[in-house]
Amino acid sequence: MSGIDVDLAVNGLITGVFYALMAIGLSLIFGILKIVNFAHGEFYMVGAYAYTLIALALGVPVWIALPLAFVVGALLGWLTERTLMRPLYAGYTSWGLMRDEYAVIVTFGLSLFLINFVDKVIGPYAYRGPPLVETSRVVLGPVLISGHRLLAAGIAIAVIAVTAALIKWSFWGQQIRAVSQNRLGASLAGIDTAKASVIVFMLSGGLAAFAGALLSPVINASPDVGIFPAIKSYIIVVLGGMGSVPGAIIASLFLGVIESFGAVYISFQYRDAFGLILLMLFLLFRPQGLFGEKGREV
Amino acid sequence: MAGLLRRDMLGVALTVAAIMLPVAGAQAADPIKVGVTITQSPPGSVVQGTQVKDGLEVAAKIINDAGGVDGRKIELVIEDTQGLPEKARAAVEKLATRDKVVAITGEHQSSAALAGIEVAHRYKIPYINTNGWSDVIREKGYPEVFNPGNYNSRVGAAAAATMKELGVKRVVSIAENTDYGIGLAKAIGEALKKIAPDVQYKYETLDRASKDFLPAILPMRANAPDAIINLMLPPAAYIMMNQLYEQGVAPSAKTWLYDGSGLADYPDFWQNVKEAGKGMLVFGLYHPKMAQPALGKQVGEAYTAKTKNEPNRLLFQAADSLFLIADAIKRAKSTDSEALIKALGETKYTGTRGEITFSKDKGYAFNQWLDVPYVTFQLTEVNQKVGDSALVSQAGQPLDPAKLWKPAK
Repeated sequence: MSGIDVDLAVNGLITGVFYALMAIGLSLIFGILKIVNFAHGEFYMVGAYAYTLIALALGVPVWIALPLAFVVGALLGWLTERTLMRPLYAGYTSWGLMRDEYAVIVTFGLSLFLINFVDKVIGPYAYRGPPLVETSRVVLGPVLISGHRLLAAGIAIAVIAVTAALIKWSFWGQQIRAVSQNRLGASLAGIDTAKASVIVFMLSGGLAAFAGALLSPVINASPDVGIFPAIKSYIIVVLGGMGSVPGAIIASLFLGVIESFGAVYISFQYRDAFGLILLMLFLLFRPQGLFGEKGREV
Repeated sequence: MAGLLRRDMLGVALTVAAIMLPVAGAQAADPIKVGVTITQSPPGSVVQGTQVKDGLEVAAKIINDAGGVDGRKIELVIEDTQGLPEKARAAVEKLATRDKVVAITGEHQSSAALAGIEVAHRYKIPYINTNGWSDVIREKGYPEVFNPGNYNSRVGAAAAATMKELGVKRVVSIAENTDYGIGLAKAIGEALKKIAPDVQYKYETLDRASKDFLPAILPMRANAPDAIINLMLPPAAYIMMNQLYEQGVAPSAKTWLYDGSGLADYPDFWQNVKEAGKGMLVFGLYHPKMAQPALGKQVGEAYTAKTKNEPNRLLFQAADSLFLIADAIKRAKSTDSEALIKALGETKYTGTRGEITFSKDKGYAFNQWLDVPYVTFQLTEVNQKVGDSALVSQAGQPLDPAKLWKPAK
């Protein structure tokens, strides 16, 4: 493996970690609500702005601004669930009666609203978030990486691990998993499914916003900054298996590495097409994704 | 000094008064509607759109405050194209058919301009291309389309001349995947072939919506060129510059970074690039130390009073676009399209940047103001204002190597 290959592998894995942080929330929402949140990229955008503006405009230290960005994303998730999502299934106990097709339109509308709202209120200019560390370059053998990117990747891995552990072992995590397996059954067992939905939306919004905050010194916050990461997240959720968190993590890393090598050895022009090609291949030969369940409800 | 100022002010007064001379008394009360297509929302460059809008509004105010054109006020009818060709096409269609504007201007993105001029050509309505640099816009040979702004061949020649004067051997352009970016990358290649055939040149096209350019940059780190030319617009350009800097590629002791996209004009430039911008050479269409007609100074001051920002190139290009329309209406004594197009073709007008005339040569020179003034300057400190930067090449002069700065390592 040449020096540049090691470089590409490391950078691909780091990109994959950020993809995972973003995609987990989307996967959780699909798992429990069976809807695709088309405003997911804008939660990311809001997080990038929240971190940058809290740190730069208010002068708050970056280590406080970072969790605050998570809180802002979680609050936006809560607001979205309570005002836009809940009316879609209020009064129904069965998924068969949920008007989930409307969720596509509602979340798509929310996405457009948030992009234009930020464009008009904050302005069209890009803002670069302050880095967590000022070290511009860290040399790790053949790999040269910015200090912020390296630290951000480490934090992202830790957050992903904590999230996965919470979902697997915590009380609310177990309830979320129960609701994702069978909402009606969970409801009959006494689980508050509405509360589970709120928690998932808050967690999803918080994680996306946290990803945006971590990357704001790299991607520079702008109103449309969330569009591309959101598209990548949709691809990852399908590749990993709809609703599967481990699947989303593995698919993220896989996509990050494939894009990194493909951009150099095939063409940078087609870099964003690699994920779509993978998506088509999976839909043709393994539509359930890496870890999704093969089955269909009627 | 005071005498010079009085003479400048007299010149401005005469220019504006000339625009206001009577045209046709019958429609004196009706405003003259001028259509404007700009980007006001993503994915196009909203920053550029905002600067163009400010420039047009400043020019309209100057004209209207001085009594309008033949007593008729200028009214801007603004349409948002989002920088998208399909939206630009629809916007021009609406302006021409529903709003009945006398001319269209403001467009600042080549892809959108290329779509818009097709409709303007169909309706035979004057179209002043404010900032679409693509040579293809001129090569279409549409008699309705006039270009007082910059053009790719001009930047291509300027960049190639700078590369030759820097004595570099290997040059890579990083271009966005648009008509503007790809066209400009090719124009630089053509110019280098003519004036510096020994220079090895290639260009990479990158998606302007992308947020990670490392896979394109890493191979450059392994084999760094002598100069990298940026042909991307913000915010993608900022991300690319930061990643070039983080990887130690450019600006560096080995590699120059040359900007052909006017990045330093953007008010958010330094906030987004910081150290990555220090040492960058810039193709500049505006620099406070450039010689400028009195009208330019007046527009610059009005803009600063309105926005509290320093003047920028798009401000002047936009203002000139509107002044040219007003001047043509005055000389044509009509707002009829055919008469306006004829008058625009015969333009000889001292605007904000110099005396504007339009060439009738074929190809990229068609209906183009060929002598758009430019300079080369270098940003030598973080957060440096354009006015404080090192002017390494005055308009029409070769680069002065003694003024160049390069990182030690």
